[in-house]
Amino acid sequence: MASEPADVLIVGAGASGAVVALRLAEAGFRVVCLEQGDWHDLADYPGVRLDWELQQRKTWATSPNIRQLPEDYPIVEDSPVSPLMFNGVGGSTLIFAGAWPRALPSDFRVRSLDGVADDWPIDYFELLPYFYRTDRAFGVSALPGDPAYPPDTDEAPMPPLPIGSAGLKIARAHTRLGWHWWPEFNAINSTPYDGRRPCVQRSTCQSGCNEGAKASTDLTHWPKAIAKGARLITGARVRRIETNDAGLATGATWIDREGAERFEPASVVVLAANAIGTPRLLLLSASGRYPDGLANSSGLVGRRLMMHPFANVAGLFEEPLMSWQGQFGDLIESLEFYETDEKRGFVRGARWGLAPTGGPINTALPSRAGEQVWGPDHHLHVRTHLGHGANWGIFAEDLPDETNRVTLSTTVTDSSGIPAPEVHYSMAENARRMLDFHIERATESMLEAGAFKVEVDRLMRYSGWHLLGTARMGDDPETSVLDPWNRTHDVPNLYIVDGSCFVTSSGVNPTSTIAAIALRAADHIVESRFNQQVPA
Amino acid sequence: MTASSASSPMSTTGGSEPLATLDAGSRAHLAAIAGRLIPEAHGMPSAAEVLTDDRVRFVLQARPDLVEPLRGALRVELGDDVQARLDALGRGDPAILGALHLVIVAGYYTDRRVRELIGYPGQLAIEVKSGAPSYLDEGLIDAVLARGPVWRDPVTGRRAEVAGAPRTYKERVWSTTAGSTQGGNDGGDST
Ligand SMILES: Cc1cc2nc3c(=O)[nH]c(=O)nc-3n(C[C@H](O)[C@H](O)[C@H](O)COP(=O)(O)OP(=O)(O)OC[C@H]3O[C@@H](n4cnc5c(N)ncnc54)[C@H](O)[C@@H]3O)c2cc1C
Ligand code: SF4
Repeated sequence: MASEPADVLIVGAGASGAVVALRLAEAGFRVVCLEQGDWHDLADYPGVRLDWELQQRKTWATSPNIRQLPEDYPIVEDSPVSPLMFNGVGGSTLIFAGAWPRALPSDFRVRSLDGVADDWPIDYFELLPYFYRTDRAFGVSALPGDPAYPPDTDEAPMPPLPIGSAGLKIARAHTRLGWHWWPEFNAINSTPYDGRRPCVQRSTCQSGCNEGAKASTDLTHWPKAIAKGARLITGARVRRIETNDAGLATGATWIDREGAERFEPASVVVLAANAIGTPRLLLLSASGRYPDGLANSSGLVGRRLMMHPFANVAGLFEEPLMSWQGQFGDLIESLEFYETDEKRGFVRGARWGLAPTGGPINTALPSRAGEQVWGPDHHLHVRTHLGHGANWGIFAEDLPDETNRVTLSTTVTDSSGIPAPEVHYSMAENARRMLDFHIERATESMLEAGAFKVEVDRLMRYSGWHLLGTARMGDDPETSVLDPWNRTHDVPNLYIVDGSCFVTSSGVNPTSTIAAIALRAADHIVESRFNQQVPA
Repeated sequence: MTASSASSPMSTTGGSEPLATLDAGSRAHLAAIAGRLIPEAHGMPSAAEVLTDDRVRFVLQARPDLVEPLRGALRVELGDDVQARLDALGRGDPAILGALHLVIVAGYYTDRRVRELIGYPGQLAIEVKSGAPSYLDEGLIDAVLARGPVWRDPVTGRRAEVAGAPRTYKERVWSTTAGSTQGGNDGGDST
């Protein structure tokens, strides 16, 4: 333990925690981060091994409830969608797919434009300089000029990754249909970059990238932050944020690997534990002064959970596409039907991302659309599916609903005896209609591309990759948890920088936007350092 | 509590000899089920033939958590009729049936000969080629650009109008060396 208390204590070493740690360490802050998981080595990842598809279904599963590693906490699921994450240095970026689209300008104005949910207190153009900075720090490969976004003045640091035979087929189909498509923005190296190797198209991104080509923050941020003096303590499970009589955060109580309780003092506390871990901690930190949980005077902590209901539309093609290869963070995207058209019977829209289809075990036991076939026809099934498919993944915008929420379990705990989070979630009618519409259009896309068969998973259970909204930002302390700079309205030295801060979910993968917002918050912490209230 | 150690589940080696947990009767049931689910047909061997001790051992060493459910799936009480056994598991024990399927499928598709026959070489490392992608030459990007901006302008609420937006890719300067190979600097601007 350092003798001097940290200037800033960060909880969680995932995407947002790493961004803040690096920025603050570079600015000379004494930074300490507590992370319940551990470091992983590139050699840990199963992608290069024969047992890859077996490990992907257990030790490297995307659901903590399936992995059940000691560092995972159980999640009680009252939900048709399972929340997914990884707990370790790098957080969920260790197993994220690497797709790196930004939220769009309209996403920040859904109340003004569509009369639903709420506008954000910030907008796309305000975030743009941060997008450019995080694109460089993570390392993004992209084709510049996507007309689905406002023109950029600054472009991605690397050229785009290949779109593969499947991507080319669909791109041609969309050209005939007159529909938008674009090579995906990916936080994956297409060339050597920042001391990391380029992608080799192995497609095992969701169980860790053996090449280090994918931007996980254990590679992109933490080594630099540590070199600048940040202290990252692993195996440190935070059980509560402590406060003093003045209502200021004083640090965190945490449990070490041996089960001993410790306290880490700090002037400022930053929560970056993701949109399930963060509300869980705030609720666990209830006290006499904050009986409903820390920073919860609005009653919104844990509420408005959004997870992007997800459907998968798989097209099967006669010709071999070798579609077990290629970056999993999407080959191409389509934003043709992203914006509201009320004639469709719902508001807002969805992004489509075209993904590879996996190896033979996944073909025989499909985790997405499709069925198991046994008997002699099993071989025909594998022959027609393996390497012959393309998956349109449809990420539907999830509008906030206060009944979709994270609470604390009264019966289930993690391995440290800390109450587990319960997730109560159901899909709204607007999202159901949206998915149905998009499934129809994506089916047309596949058929136009020449698919002889289309298989659909209308709501995929293991698709809760995007955890958002459980401590929203806003101007009004009565209707939001955070101010527009990610500082809690109630506790002036407590910040929340993960996806909890989202006001609405957008319909795109969120990490690019989470990282940009976290960097903006870190800049604010630097700029307001002399006015920051801290405990005596 | 939190740390993964040298003996953590991250390692792929399970028990020393997981096959020792399966008696001859269980092995016979496994072979019969494997042959029923994946029989010899269409030029492919039967899983009963492919699931040698080596293959089953490989699966169970990689996934020691499958040993117990597999034993449950092969238990004597479920009788000798393969279909009746599968039906009973499907009704009463879907998780155990799932584990049984996984052992058979994983044993089968990690076999070298089977992989050759299905034309699956494993997940390959394929170098990403540099140079302008073919879809640019084919005009596929031009077709997207020709339709103009797609994003909705939050000020007007309508599709954006951007004066001077490029309508072909040639109007932009394409550079395969866009940016720099160093992170965290100002990157590059190829326009
Ligand atoms: C399989 C998968 C694929 C994905 N693919 C994409 C994609 O392609 N594109 C995209 O944009 N997004 C993707 N995502 C989502 C992306 O990973 C997350 O948006 C991003 O990592 C969130 O960052 P975060 O900082 O909010 O939280 P995380 O990255 O989840 O980090 C939170 C960290 O906090 C730690 N923590 C939590 N509680 C405590 C505690 N009490 N004490 C100590 N430490 C704690 C956790 O261990 C964890 O390391 C994917 C996610 C998954 C799971
Ligand atoms: S496809 Fe690329 S990014 Fe994904 S795991 Fe393979 S090398 Fe890494």
